[in-house]
Amino acid sequence: MAEVSLRGVSKSFGDTEAVSELSLDIADGEFVVLLGPTGAGKTTTLRLIAGLERPEAGSILIGGRDVTRVEPASRDTAFVFQQYSLYPHLTVFENLAFPLRSPARRMSEAAVKARVAEVAKLVRIDHKLENRATRLSGGEMQRVAIGRALVRRPAIYLMDEPLSSLDAKLRADLRLELKRIQAELGSTMLYVTHDQIEAMTMADRIGILSEGRLVQIGTPREIYTAPANLHVAARLGRPAINLLPVGLLPDAAAPAGAATIGARTEHIAIGKVNGAVASGAANGRVEWIEHLGDQNHLHVAVAGHKLVTLVDAATELRPGDGVSLQLKNPLYFDAAGARL
Amino acid sequence: MTETSSTLLDRATEAAARRTPDGIAKRVRGLSDRMVAWLFIAPTILLLLAINIFPLIWAIQLSFTNYRANRPNEPIKNIGLSNYSRILNDADTWIAMQATAHFVFWTIVLQTVIGFTLAYLIDRKFRGHAFWTTIILVPMMLSPAVVGNFWRFLYEPQIGLFAYIVSFVTGLPTTDIQMLSNVSLAPWSIIIVDTWMWTPYVMLICLAGLRSIPDYIYEAAEVDRASNWRQFWSITLPMALPFIMLAVLFRGIENFKMFDMVNLLTGGGPGSTTEVASITLKREAFEKWRTGYSSAFAIILFVAVFGLANIYVKVLNRVKSR
Repeated sequence: MAEVSLRGVSKSFGDTEAVSELSLDIADGEFVVLLGPTGAGKTTTLRLIAGLERPEAGSILIGGRDVTRVEPASRDTAFVFQQYSLYPHLTVFENLAFPLRSPARRMSEAAVKARVAEVAKLVRIDHKLENRATRLSGGEMQRVAIGRALVRRPAIYLMDEPLSSLDAKLRADLRLELKRIQAELGSTMLYVTHDQIEAMTMADRIGILSEGRLVQIGTPREIYTAPANLHVAARLGRPAINLLPVGLLPDAAAPAGAATIGARTEHIAIGKVNGAVASGAANGRVEWIEHLGDQNHLHVAVAGHKLVTLVDAATELRPGDGVSLQLKNPLYFDAAGARL
Repeated sequence: MTETSSTLLDRATEAAARRTPDGIAKRVRGLSDRMVAWLFIAPTILLLLAINIFPLIWAIQLSFTNYRANRPNEPIKNIGLSNYSRILNDADTWIAMQATAHFVFWTIVLQTVIGFTLAYLIDRKFRGHAFWTTIILVPMMLSPAVVGNFWRFLYEPQIGLFAYIVSFVTGLPTTDIQMLSNVSLAPWSIIIVDTWMWTPYVMLICLAGLRSIPDYIYEAAEVDRASNWRQFWSITLPMALPFIMLAVLFRGIENFKMFDMVNLLTGGGPGSTTEVASITLKREAFEKWRTGYSSAFAIILFVAVFGLANIYVKVLNRVKSR
C-alpha cells in the first residue's frame, strides 16, 4: 500500500480534453471515490494512474516514486475494468491465479492455491472455480474480475464502476463487502462511480469531477452539507436538490448576491393549509404523491416552479391540497453558481 | 377487448389489400408465405440439383460399372464393388495419396506459420500497415492459371529469376536448379507456389482472429504484469486458435483436391513424383478413359475429404466452446 499523487495531470483525446490539470492526493490506506457523470474524465483518471494512458502534462507519483513514464507492469496497481475483462478461455481459478503467476512474483503453487481460495470465498465465487469464465452470469464475472484484483496486494486498487452491472441486492452486498475488505487490509483505493449511494457509503473522501476538472474534494459529509457550487450540490441527495430563485419562498436571511436557493428535503418545512392557494398562508399546491413504502415523495407546485420533497409515509396530504412551505437554512448560490 | 382488436386487425389488412395493385394482388392472393419462400429459393435449388447433386448420384452409379466414356456404344456391365477394391489395393493409389498428403501437410504448415506471423506483424498497426496488407493480398487475387504460367517462367533454369536468385545466394550453377524437372525438387516447387499464392488468405483469416481480441484483455494482462511472451501464449494464441484452425480447414480441403496449379506446373511429373490424387483422377478419366473406375476414385476422395473435414469440424467446435 502507498500514497498516490496526481500533480496537474492533463490528457486529451483529439479535441476533447478528458482530464485537465487534475491534482489529487490519495493518502495511504484511504478510500477515495470519484463521482461524476459520463464523460467527466473518471475512467481516464484511473487509466492514467494505471499507466494505460500517458498524460500530456503533469506527473503521477505512487509511493513517492514518479511513475509518469513507467510501464503499467512496473507500477504495481490492480485494475477492475467496467467490462468483464476476464480471460475467456481460462477457468475462474486460472483467471484468479493469473496475476499471481507472474514470473516477477515467484509464488509457489501451494501459495497461489491458498490465496485464490481465500479471495474466491471473499467474493463468493468459490463454488465455481472450475467453470470457464464465459459460462458465468454477469454478476459472477464481475465478482471474478474484482477477485482478480484482490488476490494481489498492490500499491493501489483502481476500480472503474465495478458494481454498475450487478443487480441491486448483489450491489448492496458487495458495497459493504468491498468497504470491509478495504478497511481490514488498510488498502489504498480509488473508486469511480456515478452512483451517489456508493460514493456516500464507501468513501473516506469524495472527489466530484466535471468536464475533466476536480470541482471539490472532501468527506461525504462536507460534500453533502457544504457543496462548493450548484454542480456539486446537484450530484448528491435523494430526491435531488430543489433549485429555486431567491424570493420564491419565505426566507429570513438571503445573503447579498444570492441568485439561487438550493433546498434539500431537510431545508423545507411543510404545513397543511385548508383552503385555496390564493388565501393567505398557502403558497404551494400538492400535485402528486409517490408512495415508496417507508416514505413518500411529495411533488409540489409553487408559482410555476416544481419541487420535490420527502414526507412521512402516513401523511394526510392529498393531490390538490394547499400547503405552506418554509425554508430552514437552505444553501445559497450566486449568479455564477458558487455557494455563498 | 379481443373482438375489437381482431376487427381492427381485419380492417388494417383490408386497407393494405386495397392499396395493392390489382394485377399483383390477383396473382399473389392464394399463395401462402411458405409458397412464396419456395418460389424464391427454387432457382438455386434447381441449379444445385442439376450441377452438383445429379452428377454426384450419377457418378456413384457409374462407379459400380465398367463404363468408358470414349466407347459409348459398348454395353455397360455392372461389376459391383470391384472398381473400389482395385483402387484400394493398387499401390499407385497409395503413392498418389502420399504425394497428396506430403503436399497438403507442408503447404498447411508453411502457410499457417508464415500467415500467422504476417498477421501478427500487421496487427501491430505500424505506419502504412493498410498499404502492406493490400500488397500482401495481391497473389491471392490472381488466377491460378496465371500464377502457374508465370511461375513456370520463374522456375526456368536458363532464364528464370528464381534459379538466378538461388544460384546467386547459394553459389550453385543455375543448371543444378531444375525445380520442375528434378525428382526431389518438383514437389517443393509446387509447395512454394501454393504457399506464395495462399499465405495471404491464411493471413487474412488470422488477422480477423487477432482483431477480434478486445484491447481491454491485453490492458488487464498488462496491469497483471504479464510479459509480452506470456500475453502471446495465454491470450493471443488461444483466442485466435479457432480462426487459425478454420484457415487450416479451408486450405486443407482446397489442397486435397488441388489440380490446376499442379497440372500447369508439372502435370504430375517428373515421372509421377508430383502426381497428387486429383492428377491421377484426371489421367484415369480423360487419358485412359476408364470412366467407371475414375468415378469410384472420385467417390473415395469425396468420402475421405468429407470424413476428415467432419472430424476436424468437431474438434474445431470443441476448441471454440472452451
